[in-house]
Amino acid sequence: MSVQHLHIAAGEHKHLVIAHVSDETAQWRITQEKDSVLTIHLFCLEKDDDTTCNALLDIEQVGEYAETYIYGLGVLTGKQQINVRTHVRHSVPNGKSSQLLKFAVKDNARAEFVGELIVAPNAQHTDARQTNRNVLLSPTATMHTQPQLEIYADDVKCSHGATTGQIDESALFYMQQRGIAPDEARRLLLTAFFHDVLTTLGEQEVEERIQRRIAEKLQ
Amino acid sequence: MLDIKNLHASIAGKEILKGINLHINAGETHAIMGPNGAGKSTLSAVLAGNPAYTVTEGEVTFNGKDLLSMAPEVRAREGLFLSFQYPVEIPGVSMTNFMRAAVNAKREHQGMPALNAGEFLKLMRAKRSLVELDNKLTGRSVNEGFSGGEKKRNEIFQMAMLEPCLSILDETDSGLDIDALRIVAEGVNKLHTEENATIVITHYQRLLDYIVPDYVHILADGQIVRTGGKELALELEEKGYAGLMQ
Repeated sequence: MSVQHLHIAAGEHKHLVIAHVSDETAQWRITQEKDSVLTIHLFCLEKDDDTTCNALLDIEQVGEYAETYIYGLGVLTGKQQINVRTHVRHSVPNGKSSQLLKFAVKDNARAEFVGELIVAPNAQHTDARQTNRNVLLSPTATMHTQPQLEIYADDVKCSHGATTGQIDESALFYMQQRGIAPDEARRLLLTAFFHDVLTTLGEQEVEERIQRRIAEKLQ
Repeated sequence: MLDIKNLHASIAGKEILKGINLHINAGETHAIMGPNGAGKSTLSAVLAGNPAYTVTEGEVTFNGKDLLSMAPEVRAREGLFLSFQYPVEIPGVSMTNFMRAAVNAKREHQGMPALNAGEFLKLMRAKRSLVELDNKLTGRSVNEGFSGGEKKRNEIFQMAMLEPCLSILDETDSGLDIDALRIVAEGVNKLHTEENATIVITHYQRLLDYIVPDYVHILADGQIVRTGGKELALELEEKGYAGLMQ
């Protein structure tokens, strides 16, 4: 297991795409200097139904006015397992971080998300958000979500939310009543579910490729 | 077209429909009226195949086929349309993608080729004008952020797109102001032909001033207790359910 180290210099903008994490651990340790912007896209769309994926993102803002954005999505099927752990540490004031992670879990697959967010005592005016939304597509699928916020500064804006639900049955029936087969209806609903994560890519061609990949996974 | 015989249905073990008999021919408009809890919406849900309800007895034939053995999407493709009392909001699914999936599913069922993007948009434009549905609305997610009136107009727009042979309008008048009611009713009337039929479920006579029924049925406690012509709705308006059933 190797750790990839990355240091983002003052004012630098960095975009990382982490995909195809399979049977190994993708571990990153990243530090951010003043005014730097880090955007991470994490995709877990492995075709093989028997893989275990681990992604560990350890990020520290060491310079003020740094921004960290983490967007992730995953579709887990068969016996797949995934563990995503984000550790975002605001060590200095005026930092911003935003995390949006969504998982759809089917069959006997299992997904785990641990989101650690630490705001150091002197990191005033931190603006940190963490959202994790999940949908279970089979009664045997499991999702564990664990937001962990440690906030030691008092003048900060921090929010987190985690929900795990199922496909909206009333929407499914509405679509069926219009002649749409349940599989197709589910595909449309999941495309909608992932829509806000996908649009953060800002590239329609890549978005469409990932949408096709999602559809393939769910067939 | 539709033949309902001794239909019994329940939800969560509670019997709601207690032996419905109804025969509908092509070209006819039937109104079903009745007090709250009579089973009006249950009847429409059962005909559409809502899995929340269980049919415990009876049979329904639709164009010579056994309706109750079909999956909900097959009933729709065979030409059964339900205008929902509470149309469902589907955030993130665009009206365009939704309608294209629906129209092409029906075409495939009928052995027709799928419409291409150009043909489809042309069809959308033509049908939209029927219920004066704003272009902006068809560009949005299904029913998301639509007003009550817009949702109902959107139902009739979908009905126009799918050209069903049997349309069930479940309290399409609820939540509509008088102008929206007129637009919706005119849309329904324009879609009416000698080949299709309509079931109008309503609490009030008002909608029937616009959509004039051939038959009016009064549903009470899960059974049709009276059937008459359009004058029955007027009598009902005058006497109330209690007065009519004495």
